Amino acid sequence: MTGRGAIGLRQRRPPAQHKAVALLLLAPATITLVAWTYWPLLESFRLSFFQWNILPTTPQLFVGLENYRRLLDLPELNTAAINTAIYTFGLLPLTILLPLAVALATQRLSGPMRNLYRGLIFLPMIMAPVVVAIIWRWLLHPDHGLINRGITTFGFDPVRFLQDPDIAIWTILFITGWKLIGFSTILIAAAIAGIDRHLSEAARLDGATEWQVTRELTLPMLSPVLLFLTMLTVLHGAQWSFVYINVLTQGGPRQATTNLYYLLWDYGFGTFAIGWATAAGMLLFALFGVAAAICMRLMSRYAVYER
Amino acid sequence: MNAEAPAIALAPAQASAPRQRVARPPREFGAHLMLALLSLLSVFPIYWMLVSGLRADNDIFSTDLWPAAPSLDNFAYVIESIPIGGMILTTFMVAAVSTVLQLVTGLLAAYAFARWRFAISRVLFALLTVTWLIPAQVIMVPNFVQVSALGLLDTPGALIIPHAASAFAIMILYQAIRSFPEELIDAARMDGGGHMTVLWRVMVPNMRPALASLGILLFISSWNEYFWPLLVTRSVENAVVQIGLQMFMTQEGDQWGPLMAAASLVSLPVLALYLVLQRQIIESFVKSGIR
Amino acid sequence: MTMPFGRSAFLRLGAAAAAGLAVPARAQQIPPRSTTPVTISFYNYNLATAGLGAQATRDLIRGFMQANPHIRVEGVGVTSTQILARTQADVAAGRPPDVAQLIFSDLDFIANSLGVRPLQDIIPAEEWAEHTAGMVPNGLRLGAIQGRVYGIPYVFSTPVLFYNANLFRDAGLNPDQPPRNWDEVKRAALQIRERTRRNGVFPGIYSSFDWLAQSLVLSNGGRVLSPDRRRLMFGEAETVEALTIMRDLMTSGAHARLGEAEAMDAFGSGNLGMVLTTSARQHAFLSASRNRFEMRAAAMPAFGDKPTRPTNSGSALFILARDPLKQRAAWELMKYLTTREAYSVITSRIGYLPLRLDIVDDPNFLQGWVRENPLVLPNLEQLTRLEPWESYPGPNYLQISRIFTAAVSEAVYGNADIATLMRDAQTRAQALMP
Repeated sequence: MTGRGAIGLRQRRPPAQHKAVALLLLAPATITLVAWTYWPLLESFRLSFFQWNILPTTPQLFVGLENYRRLLDLPELNTAAINTAIYTFGLLPLTILLPLAVALATQRLSGPMRNLYRGLIFLPMIMAPVVVAIIWRWLLHPDHGLINRGITTFGFDPVRFLQDPDIAIWTILFITGWKLIGFSTILIAAAIAGIDRHLSEAARLDGATEWQVTRELTLPMLSPVLLFLTMLTVLHGAQWSFVYINVLTQGGPRQATTNLYYLLWDYGFGTFAIGWATAAGMLLFALFGVAAAICMRLMSRYAVYER
Repeated sequence: MNAEAPAIALAPAQASAPRQRVARPPREFGAHLMLALLSLLSVFPIYWMLVSGLRADNDIFSTDLWPAAPSLDNFAYVIESIPIGGMILTTFMVAAVSTVLQLVTGLLAAYAFARWRFAISRVLFALLTVTWLIPAQVIMVPNFVQVSALGLLDTPGALIIPHAASAFAIMILYQAIRSFPEELIDAARMDGGGHMTVLWRVMVPNMRPALASLGILLFISSWNEYFWPLLVTRSVENAVVQIGLQMFMTQEGDQWGPLMAAASLVSLPVLALYLVLQRQIIESFVKSGIR
Repeated sequence: MTMPFGRSAFLRLGAAAAAGLAVPARAQQIPPRSTTPVTISFYNYNLATAGLGAQATRDLIRGFMQANPHIRVEGVGVTSTQILARTQADVAAGRPPDVAQLIFSDLDFIANSLGVRPLQDIIPAEEWAEHTAGMVPNGLRLGAIQGRVYGIPYVFSTPVLFYNANLFRDAGLNPDQPPRNWDEVKRAALQIRERTRRNGVFPGIYSSFDWLAQSLVLSNGGRVLSPDRRRLMFGEAETVEALTIMRDLMTSGAHARLGEAEAMDAFGSGNLGMVLTTSARQHAFLSASRNRFEMRAAAMPAFGDKPTRPTNSGSALFILARDPLKQRAAWELMKYLTTREAYSVITSRIGYLPLRLDIVDDPNFLQGWVRENPLVLPNLEQLTRLEPWESYPGPNYLQISRIFTAAVSEAVYGNADIATLMRDAQTRAQALMP
């Protein structure tokens, strides 16, 4: 949030009366987030040191770091951590590169085709996540799945998309990414639409090629959105894949598809054993908090705004 | 037109190079091919969902592209067995109101953050954006207790009020506002407008693509929520569509045909919203009165 | 900011302490009859489904209200995966349901933490004896911990081996003689695989509800929990032996290499020869197989000559009301839902098992239905050997169950040494026991 590279709305130090207006504008969002996110977060933090089942008749038993220790002792933790990295970075091509390519490619097309492509690519977003999981399970089934029917007609063995420990995680990644392509495309397309046409026209008149325009003008202008989407993917990738892991593999086969978020959900959030759940939440929060801080740093350093 | 040169310099050598005659057809063809394949990949599972809703129970796993004996029985069954119409309305209302609230609170906050920078605002910005990292399940239980104490259980309020603001919205809108050209703001101010005028009369109309895109993403996020509504809704009549869908999946086995029929019905409002908003989403940046 | 109920909990503890000194030790029994108008809430997970279970339950409730005009029942549908959490949350918020249908695996928690009292304490002994006469004795045990009955079993099912008669015939097997033990299962499965190239068998022991895995262990003579409920035992020799047999099924190719949900789909699509799963899936499987293949059912396979010890999957009805008048109304509802008429409805319309076997041969009740639905017979036979679904003690009981089922999956699908694997899991889980 520094002023560096901040061409565009210049940030000013406000005089006193502006400060009051500023705080007023910030009030609704702040109050909501404090009441419904911060307060429960602090309460959860406190509860993570207790063993309790939220029933008023049961005493809260202080157990110190025991909840954290138990979670960190789970043998699946290592695999979950590695898988989390795979989910995070494996999703980036599907949440950044591909949508970017789509947004740029459709940008240059005219009217109806552009709308059509964008509309079709957006469609996965309208499906309920649990239904997405089930449909893909059917399509990828080794016995009656359409995709394996196709594969076997060419003489190959059916691919065990969700049962082979080496392939399963990539299948889940694919499904997660598939659902989200529209999400990123829409944001990038909106950002492209927000770039001043005159700049690119001027550049073209100066003899720049399409590719040069893209590389030197469009991409830097898109850097805030792209960096934001990167941060989003890094921080939430493991969470986005949750529904699909939950419905399709439950972390298996043999922990091949589990990740930190799923693992902690399985042991912590599945019940009202508050100690487990809140300790799990705090761990996730701490881990991704660090990641977020790094991302924010990078963003403020590299994002470029239009003047 | 801005007298200053664009901040991004192009290699000056290019200026004198002859205009390259790029072979257009192959490149466009390549783009079309990629987009067509991607579109097919995107649409096919949805088609499968629709078609599965038309299949009988003993035909569910068939790989025929079109069912042998398509029927609307599953759809009729869905309408009979759960109050899906009511659920769709409830969910739509909750999602729409939440989205509007998140956009409004987000705009106000984003404007304040983008416009001014002082000690508290930086702290606040950090604090607000950090809330975004918190997995929903962690705060669900204390929130449940709060909602219950406020007497909001089983009301739309329980679904809307905790979601009146969204850190995600604030961040996106902050980007958008910061990218907003200074000239337009200066022009409005010179015409004597205060902050609210600048925000609502100048910025918002020109931020339509961003607002529409963000709006639909927020709407979908609310539409797909499952765990929180499950916790705070008591009666089936006040349930949201995700809960309705899960009613077809039981310990005694799942009713696939009806589930897919219900899922198809439930997708329609979101699709409709997208179609309505898409003009806003892809509309190009409206030029202002700068000449 | 203090928790909203922090203060009230304190007050409640104070009041209880004061009251405890004044009231005699024996709990108050409910009034002998229900005469005053009263409304009770009933949390039920069949109501939260979109199928037969919901309609049948609604009809049962309506029947009850007609027979007891001064009692109003508010049926609240809560999905089965959430019903305990919802009950817990509502107790925490000070508005508990009066009657709840809760799952057996939560029994210890229900008894010790939700404050449900043993039924014998509040219901007059004669009335209890009279109502439960005729119920399968093993059935009543399902809702008991060390002899004290907390809930009356309501809907439940047992493990059944469903098989595809068409695949059997295609593989040269006789569908009238289904496999009776795991050796025969392996042979049949391998034959199906060889001759028809379809999947052989899938034992559904991997779900996070561990009742079927427990049944496997029990059927080989093992236990998961010691009788005094202090020691976990799922790492011992009998379990290891049972899982070794399962692993052998997997490595030989007899066991379908699929996840549990995919396996259920595979059976429905006619691509799996045998599946060991809950009898409650019968209706769904029949729908899927109609006009495509003939489905049959057999009892759970045994380990050699040892008799099988089938556990059950299901739920019991618990009274959570505190007010004696509501408790009486609740008990009236529970009695109604466990009469012969009610069990006839539950079995024929929802697909669970009757806790009263006398209705099976009675033409007024289920005799006709059983004749038309012979698939249920193996199940009924198993009822006499029913075992409780063991619920683990203490606040970490779900995590213990997770450790167990994760170890079972790894044992069968993986290649580590099973004895070490199960022993390690047992040790880790033992650390979570109270």
